[in-house]
Amino acid sequence: AMESRELFVLTYGALVAQLCKDYEKDEDVNTFLDRMGYGIGVRLIDDFLARSAVKKCRSYSETADMIAQVAFKMYLGVTPSVSCSNTAGNEFSLILDKNPLVDFVEELPAERASLCYCNLLCGVIRGALEMVHLAAEVTFLRDRLKGDAVTEIGITFLRKAEDRNELVTTT
Amino acid sequence: MAVCIAVIAKENYPLYIRSVPTENELKFHYTVHTSLDVVDEKISAMGKALVDQRELYLGLLYPTEDYKVYGYVTNSRVKFVMVVDSSNTALRDNEIRSMFRKLHNSYTDIMCNPFYNPGDRIHSRAFDNMVNSMMMQVC
Repeated sequence: AMESRELFVLTYGALVAQLCKDYEKDEDVNTFLDRMGYGIGVRLIDDFLARSAVKKCRSYSETADMIAQVAFKMYLGVTPSVSCSNTAGNEFSLILDKNPLVDFVEELPAERASLCYCNLLCGVIRGALEMVHLAAEVTFLRDRLKGDAVTEIGITFLRKAEDRNELVTTT
Repeated sequence: MAVCIAVIAKENYPLYIRSVPTENELKFHYTVHTSLDVVDEKISAMGKALVDQRELYLGLLYPTEDYKVYGYVTNSRVKFVMVVDSSNTALRDNEIRSMFRKLHNSYTDIMCNPFYNPGDRIHSRAFDNMVNSMMMQVC
């Protein structure tokens, strides 16, 4: 698992660097990373469910814990800390203490100040959640590469799990 | 403790050069430049040498009245040149070797940065910090 990590990190870096060459605006690169991540997420979820053999999550909180403690651990070898950020119980924050994807990136280039370097991760989480019928918004709230103190991913679950039947009929 | 540290591309132009005190920078640029001939001599003398730690470290390139110049070449033909004060007799060979090894490690970290294009000048805080730790403290 450790041996291929460097290759994976370098590959990810090459991908971001290439996107930066292809797209002038940071927003476009961010969108593309998110879209690619989404494509990975909708496929990765089956691998995750098969390998982790976890039981169905009964709440958003359980789901967020699952993402941080099982999924992140399985695929990136790190365990972000989870906290719920609102009283309604559908907004969560994952704080990444260590992020292997940015191991070799010291800081963003000056002309790329709005780049969300790891935006692929947001798309992955969003895509994976969608395949288990959970709609969510996933973005980077804070980013060490941009000078913030921590790197924080925000997950906002958009519909209550109980309304899942409604979700099917109202679309 | 060095007075000048330089990283030279395989095409023999500087990727990074830092010296203390900074007023002497031009003189050190010249010193490093002239040392490159000696480096090239040593490399061709090596021939198809083995990829061995011993072979990467080129040792003392040439002494001047005030300074000693040491060299190190990587497998990708990137060179590191280090100038130390002649009066600094305390600096031993294996200390110089370990300084070069640290330079080499920091250099490979820079190469892994996806935003760094090989051949660009090196602008890295981590690299600066590492070099600072090796330079003479200027009072």
